[in-house]
Amino acid sequence: MDPANRTWQRLRKDKAGFMGLVIVLAFFLIALGVWSGILGQGWSEAGGGRWEAPGKAHWFGTNLLGQDIFQRAVYSVRTAFEIGFVVSVLSTLLGAILGALAGWYSNTWADSTILWIKGVLDSIPFYLFVAAVAFALQGKPWAMHLAMIATFWTTTGRLVRAEVMKIKSREFILSARTIGLPDLLILFRHVLPNTLHILFIQSSIAFVAAIKTEVILSFLGLGVQDGVSWGLMLAESTQEVLAGHFNNFLAASLMLFVLLMGFNLLSDALQEAFDPQQAAL
Amino acid sequence: MRFALSKIAHGLLLILGVTLISFTLMVWFGPDQTYSLVGKNATPEQIAEIRHELGYDQPFARRYGGYLAQLFTLNLGASNSSGEPVSQILKRTVPVTLALMIPGFVLGNLLGIALGLLSAQHKGRWIDRLVTGLSVTGMSISFLVIIIFLQVLLSTPYGLNLFPVRGWQVDDPGSYLRYVAVPTLSLVFVTLGYNTRFYRAVFVEESGRDHIRTARAFGASTATILWKHVLKNSMVPVLTRIMFSIPLVVISGSLLIESYFGIPGVGKVTFDAITSGDQPVLKAVVGLTAVAFVLIQILTDFIYKLVDPRIA
Repeated sequence: MDPANRTWQRLRKDKAGFMGLVIVLAFFLIALGVWSGILGQGWSEAGGGRWEAPGKAHWFGTNLLGQDIFQRAVYSVRTAFEIGFVVSVLSTLLGAILGALAGWYSNTWADSTILWIKGVLDSIPFYLFVAAVAFALQGKPWAMHLAMIATFWTTTGRLVRAEVMKIKSREFILSARTIGLPDLLILFRHVLPNTLHILFIQSSIAFVAAIKTEVILSFLGLGVQDGVSWGLMLAESTQEVLAGHFNNFLAASLMLFVLLMGFNLLSDALQEAFDPQQAAL
Repeated sequence: MRFALSKIAHGLLLILGVTLISFTLMVWFGPDQTYSLVGKNATPEQIAEIRHELGYDQPFARRYGGYLAQLFTLNLGASNSSGEPVSQILKRTVPVTLALMIPGFVLGNLLGIALGLLSAQHKGRWIDRLVTGLSVTGMSISFLVIIIFLQVLLSTPYGLNLFPVRGWQVDDPGSYLRYVAVPTLSLVFVTLGYNTRFYRAVFVEESGRDHIRTARAFGASTATILWKHVLKNSMVPVLTRIMFSIPLVVISGSLLIESYFGIPGVGKVTFDAITSGDQPVLKAVVGLTAVAFVLIQILTDFIYKLVDPRIA
């Protein structure tokens, strides 16, 4: 059996992991529904009274402004996927490229420079870094994404660097060098594809981290600027819960929890499926 | 000696990097402060004077040097919004943040180590499954959700109503305990899942080594093995974890907890500086904490050598 197939077989047998996959796919379908204009389109209309109880018109009640909480929670799935997708893809890509270069040119100035940048970024407390970036960009809506991408790549970079250093002394790489293929071609065509398992796992971890971080940043006023997200709903709810209105809080935190749980189960299962020996530790 | 020198050189390079980044983001590219400082109908001369005071007419290197000098002499200027010297603000708020965050940080790690040991000792059995299952659940709950939930549960009439809803009126040990309880519980809950999972992995790996099997074969009791062999030999990863989680847990945690509960610590000051764009406060907090964290890393390297003489 080829490795990809074997990995899939292991993943299918992992009950918790499979459940995680189903949850993530279900949320992805909701996000597609929002994108295509079927779901959650009335998220900003103030069509009800203040803090209406759940009922036929508003399944999960309304917020302070009379907006439908269910629609807002559903629309936020799209926001979460946009942030998670942009951040996980770009930060993993950046980590792959920088990690590969550092590993291939290990113990040269290129390697030390990349390690230095990584060390510096790891030394600045994350939320303060976001605050600094947001300050420099003066409230640009993508300051949050930029800050996450600029810091989330470091773990991927470290893992890819270590793996590339291992791979580059293997025979098939030596033979590629012997027949005179250019360095960068070997690195990106033959070495990097062998780190795909790391990239898969790390991007699923980055996805979770991005969604969680958005919540905190939106509460701090550094996150989503326009539109709606679970973070903004929770920020709204911090005032409401003290007055006894829990619908906003429950809707946002439950959706958030289920999606994060699904992703965590999936990423655990991915680790186990790709590398059973390591994951068994 | 060579070890010490190389570690210190490495640390200096990191300090150069973190200060360079915070300078570039907040001072060089930061918004122009001139018009928030000059009065109405200022003359061109007054504007030029303010710009000169702020250093806007200086080249990059000189202004960066000025920022470094500010950080190392702790002569950090005054807050834009209150006019209070930044060093005085920090002197007032740092003790509050430490008193607020230390209990939760220590408890979160101790409980994580205890649960990790428990889980590793019963690896593969139901206790282990329960602990790992709960850790993943804990990892899936947002910090903000935990704080809101515990506040409603413990501090409002909708729950048990045991503790103050927010604030920090601490003047004796009793009031300290009442105000620190809910933030501490929040911090423990949010870190416990990650900590337990990490420590479990470390202890399981250590338990699989040959010398542990030998000790077991010689009839050492489970408790002796755990304490004397597994825990002691895992000190390096455990220490790394604790030291490296300081910026994330203590600093980022205080930002969220203090702004949520309205506690007058560094986190609240930083939050206010973020919302009002108070550049002198922000650049001091970011620069100083990053430098402090680099110092912690250097210290960690030296502790490693004490714990494990093999490390070069």
